[in-house]
Amino acid sequence: MKLFITFIAVIAITSAGVAQDFTKAITTAKTAYSAGKLEDTHFALQQAMQEVDLIVGKEVLKLLPPKIDVMEINAKEDNVASNVGFIGATIHRAYDKGTRKADISIISNSPLVAMTNMVLNTPLLGGMMSDGKSKTVKVQGYKARLEKQPGSTNDKNSYDLQIPLGNALFTFKVDDCTDTQILQFADTIPLQQIAKLIE
Amino acid sequence: MKKVLYTLCFLSALMISDTAAAQGFLKKLKDKVNKTVDNAVDKKAGIPPDNSSGNNRSNSPGSPTNKGGGGLSNTAPPDVKAQIAEAETAHAAKNYSDARYSLQQALMGVEIQLGRQILKSLPPSVDALNVDTLQDVVMSTQWGWNNLSIHRVWKNTADKQLTITVGNAGMYAGLAALYFSNAGMVEANGAKQNFKQVRVKGNKAIIQYEDSKGYTLIVSLGQSSMIVWECINFANEQEVMNTANTFDIDKIKKMLGEQ
Repeated sequence: MKLFITFIAVIAITSAGVAQDFTKAITTAKTAYSAGKLEDTHFALQQAMQEVDLIVGKEVLKLLPPKIDVMEINAKEDNVASNVGFIGATIHRAYDKGTRKADISIISNSPLVAMTNMVLNTPLLGGMMSDGKSKTVKVQGYKARLEKQPGSTNDKNSYDLQIPLGNALFTFKVDDCTDTQILQFADTIPLQQIAKLIE
Repeated sequence: MKKVLYTLCFLSALMISDTAAAQGFLKKLKDKVNKTVDNAVDKKAGIPPDNSSGNNRSNSPGSPTNKGGGGLSNTAPPDVKAQIAEAETAHAAKNYSDARYSLQQALMGVEIQLGRQILKSLPPSVDALNVDTLQDVVMSTQWGWNNLSIHRVWKNTADKQLTITVGNAGMYAGLAALYFSNAGMVEANGAKQNFKQVRVKGNKAIIQYEDSKGYTLIVSLGQSSMIVWECINFANEQEVMNTANTFDIDKIKKMLGEQ
């Protein structure tokens, strides 16, 4: 699963688009379409779609809490990348304080989210995928998969919480915490509002 | 003494085999009687005969079989202008999810129009084969440009058939590109070569022959598009190449926006 997400992230990063102006792209699309230039229309529409994805990403970042527990936003890590086609957008934010670190990433409009959903909704499959380090939990009414990260020691654990929101995947990762703590932190994130924006 | 022993062995063997045969015969008889009696009892009790070879078993009892319906109506491709307008309205109202959806619909509309234009540009007859418009397909999924696929078939009354698929599928094109960039993968050493690189109007291509499928010619176009010709019952490689050369590849390439 981790490899899978890394793969998606790599694709998203390598093909990240540059912010485009929505209105400009739409005007270009309309002009090109009226002139019968279908290929140009197509390109302009894609640009407009990228712009929408970027706006959504920025709006989601605004919804995220300014602080999680004692951890504060690491503004340098804020990132919204858009890519038409395979994945809609990747939204990323990091929080830290001392050794404790939290990381939120949202991949929107990804057909690959279906896989996580399948694991969550098929007890047999969930059982097969389980290596004793992951369990299914509920966060604000959403089914989620909580996974203890390899390399964690007894006194310092890292956890990964994956929540499918429609066709987006919300991943919350916290270093140096307990499973109860990560769930408490996750409760401070307005998942419903985010889901509404990115659905 | 030895003779007596042999005779005894022979006789006992004969008896054993006789008993086995007799048992088999008895079992068959018993089964037959049972079946006849069962049928007779069933008939008296009004139970229908057991028909294990019928297809009825696949349906669970009581669930009706679908005998037909109107199917789905053929929806016109999305109206590009209307979808763009809707996207603008949704964007202005900060309803980004709807804006994205409308843009996707507009993209699909553009792709289908483009596919139809490409179909229109293909010749009505190729190498004495006539187009079978019933098999024309223009398919677009909402994944923006990556899954546009155009399909057309030409055939004659005999078994000769030509199928062309123009696709914009990055995934397959990547695989084809792998062959082009690695000559070692396609140059066979055998006397009879079934796979090789060729050029069609200057474009890199691969041609393959299989007895069961005939000839397959794949031309890679630009970054992510390709044309595939599947030729069934064509006499030889030259005939396939001549047929491919009758197509205006540059025009298709230009329409797809490839360089």
